[in-house]
Amino acid sequence: MKRCELLIVGAGVAGMAAAVAAWDSGCRNLVLADRADRSGGILPQCIHEGFGLSAFGAELTGPDYADRWAAALKRTGVQLLLNTEVLSVTETKTAILSSREGLGELGFERLILATGCRERAVGSLPIAGTRPAGIFTAGQAQALINLRHQSLGRNILILGSGDLGMIMARRFTLEGKRVIAVVEQNDHYGGMARNHHRCIEQYHIPMLYRSTVSEIHGVGRICGVTLTQLDSGRREYISCDTLITAVGLIPERELARGLGDPDWLYLAGNCHRIHQVADSAAAEAEAIGKRIMQEGQR
Amino acid sequence: METYDVVVIGGGLLGCFAARNLRRWDLSVALLEAREDVCTGVSRANTAIVYPGYDHKPGTLKTEMTVRANARFDTLCRELDVPFKRCGSLMVGFGAQAEAVLRRKYENGLAAGVPGLRLLSGAEALALEPALAPGVTLALYAPSAGTVNPWALGVAAFENAVDNGAQPWLNTAVRGIRAEGGSYVVGTDRETFSCRALINCAGLSADRVQALFRAPDVRIVPSAGDYLVLDQTAANAPGHIIQYEPEDGGKGLTAVPTVEGSLLLGPSERENETDFATTLPGLDFVRERAGRVLPRLALEETIRSFAAVRPNPQRFDGGSVGGFVIDNPAPGFWSLIGIKTPGLTCADELGRHVAEHAAAYLQAERNMAFSPQRTGIKKAHGMSCEQRRAAIADDPDYGEVLCRCEDITRAEVLQAIRRGAVTVDGIKRRTGATMGRCQGSRCQQRLVQLLAQEGNIPACAVTKDGRGSEILGGGHETV
Ligand SMILES: Cc1cc2nc3c(=O)[nH]c(=O)nc-3n(C[C@H](O)[C@H](O)[C@H](O)COP(=O)(O)OP(=O)(O)OC[C@H]3O[C@@H](n4cnc5c(N)ncnc54)[C@H](O)[C@@H]3O)c2cc1C
Ligand SMILES: Cc1cc2nc3c(=O)[nH]c(=O)nc-3n(C[C@H](O)[C@H](O)[C@H](O)COP(=O)(O)OP(=O)(O)OC[C@H]3O[C@@H](n4cnc5c(N)ncnc54)[C@H](O)[C@@H]3O)c2cc1C
Repeated sequence: MKRCELLIVGAGVAGMAAAVAAWDSGCRNLVLADRADRSGGILPQCIHEGFGLSAFGAELTGPDYADRWAAALKRTGVQLLLNTEVLSVTETKTAILSSREGLGELGFERLILATGCRERAVGSLPIAGTRPAGIFTAGQAQALINLRHQSLGRNILILGSGDLGMIMARRFTLEGKRVIAVVEQNDHYGGMARNHHRCIEQYHIPMLYRSTVSEIHGVGRICGVTLTQLDSGRREYISCDTLITAVGLIPERELARGLGDPDWLYLAGNCHRIHQVADSAAAEAEAIGKRIMQEGQR
Repeated sequence: METYDVVVIGGGLLGCFAARNLRRWDLSVALLEAREDVCTGVSRANTAIVYPGYDHKPGTLKTEMTVRANARFDTLCRELDVPFKRCGSLMVGFGAQAEAVLRRKYENGLAAGVPGLRLLSGAEALALEPALAPGVTLALYAPSAGTVNPWALGVAAFENAVDNGAQPWLNTAVRGIRAEGGSYVVGTDRETFSCRALINCAGLSADRVQALFRAPDVRIVPSAGDYLVLDQTAANAPGHIIQYEPEDGGKGLTAVPTVEGSLLLGPSERENETDFATTLPGLDFVRERAGRVLPRLALEETIRSFAAVRPNPQRFDGGSVGGFVIDNPAPGFWSLIGIKTPGLTCADELGRHVAEHAAAYLQAERNMAFSPQRTGIKKAHGMSCEQRRAAIADDPDYGEVLCRCEDITRAEVLQAIRRGAVTVDGIKRRTGATMGRCQGSRCQQRLVQLLAQEGNIPACAVTKDGRGSEILGGGHETV
């Protein structure tokens, strides 16, 4: 069985930042694995500007920001395994890796999970009705539009006003689609003021506060939703052909399940907690990368 | 005109098993299904229980079939290479009313020969199933109860029927039936079929399909029910099937730890509703009942809700029908009308039953070449490291995980498509992809791509669940 000192799962910004920091602190036997065919994690699909204000002092797009980290990684000797799924991790400090080349076991001394997050899907919400085609999570829609250049629909309703919801409202508008409204259960948008200003106000996108989608209609493709006003209870039918859900991110920790809290396991980036800005995920991961090496020397 | 000995109408569980069992005889068989795939109707949304057989009166066809089917289920699932979990069931009561019901079912079960049946005290039930509410006073324990994925079973029966020479006709909706010189002529929206025997397994439409020829004595009065699905990680989920018998005599609740590892909760009961849409009161009902019987269950781990529609058979005078309705409106013509619970449990038995009738009617010989064995898609999940390594060496697509929640590889998805999946839901029914906690938000696009590539169609023509459910490019111009 192959062995390494440090295994990092996930080559998003957190994984890359942790890897660079660990290398710079003297770790020389380090593997960074990601299932995707490129590094960067979620960033390549975030083609808007707004990354790197504190790390690089510039407002970069997601892909450019990812490239900066990829360049930093390149000057190290970190072994980057792409197209590689980490299937599981055992208590005996072994990871099972799967790729088209085969199934491998990799022993490690320490493990950083930088596996990002997943989006809460519509099924987990208390919404009645049918489950037709035309319902996407915001990140899924973002990948389809920005990476695959697909068109999803024409009349879009967005549920949830976090950064993702607001960014996607603008994205659909720029694509020439009609964003009927962004629906939010609270009385204030959920994301950053900067995004509200740039994505909602500047494009005059209607916001519906203290409202929620309570029912989905449509048999093949979605044809509308019932909107409920939370204070008055008033219900209203709104027709739409696409529903985007931006209702929360959940740290992705499947690999840690059943492991308890061993002293060789670290969580970084969105896998640890949801970071609103990538710089914050990077800073956290860098600190972990450094700390691991210090702890390793003790 | 297409000519067969037997035509089966409907590709749900019952039609697929009828076709399979008809091929035990030397008969040419066509299976006509209106949709683009099998198991898209009642068979895709139900409680997934393989019942032990204590629910109905002993001595009836329904009870006898259920007990026999249950005993054969391991063999059946081995033949068809479908996972089956004999997890046992606990029917639980919290007071005198429910206890009376449980005792009656216990007596029924003893008389019907249900194996291993036991009445447990509240303490015994809690020891066996700590997830239960502490107030439980009596439980009926049936170790023979189990669970199977209904569409996995139906698809397997379909594949086995086709392997044995049954001819599938998908996208073929029956529009008319008439008798002509000892044969039946079945008109569809495509070809016309001629056959000597006809088996109607049209599910929710079975009464109307028979009425194309002669009105049946019963009609189907649908009612709907809502379900919740919890993630396999949900804390305090039971290991047994739990059937809650409420004290007030109202509708109870069933919890099923599925073969996939998720927990199914439901159904509610809504009269006279016909569409597969959930309602908020229905979902609230399920949550409320679940709270009563499994108080610590992590309901916040819900990943999906869905609705089912029951094909309740009813006499025209309004009277309800207790037994299985197997109508025989004319020689050589059988209709399975309003087969609800336990139609999944009894699917193979019902198929055998009608096949034997048809074979006797047509004086058919045994088909010596019939093989009951079917090989399923080899699943990467659950393989040992050595097996998985060998699978990848053999086919690198086994190395590429597409659905991460359920650990399903590209190889499995491609096999599903080659075996007949033409929609995203068709892949789901054959592999389990998109059934996990992210509900396809991460893998759906990959599935769409593969369906487009393998079917040689543009991605925007790929559907979730048949015509009208296009996923991409979607949305109709609003006027
Ligand atoms: C739509 C959107 C807009 C945003 N906008 C901004 C913005 O304007 N400005 C800003 O600063 N921040 C923004 N952010 C936040 C920032 O992008 C994220 O916080 C940050 O990129 C998270 O990085 P990460 O490395 O933790 O996770 P990810 O980027 O998600 O990386 C996780 C990686 O782990 C891999 N992985 C997971 N499990 C496995 C496994 N089992 N085996 C192998 N590989 C695995 C995945 O393939 C992925 O590459 C935005 C985020 C989103 C989603
Ligand atoms: C809520 C609920 C819970 C249940 N739980 C259980 C359980 O736990 N255990 C158990 O044993 N049983 C259970 N059952 C029963 C079981 O699900 C059914 O008995 C079984 O699925 C019926 O299958 P089917 O083939 O009759 O129907 P379907 O699956 O609906 O198949 C009928 C097919 O006929 C096709 N069709 C209709 N009209 C035409 C036409 N004109 N031409 C061509 N094709 C046509 C339809 O497209 C469909 O594919 C449950 C049922 C319900 C409703």
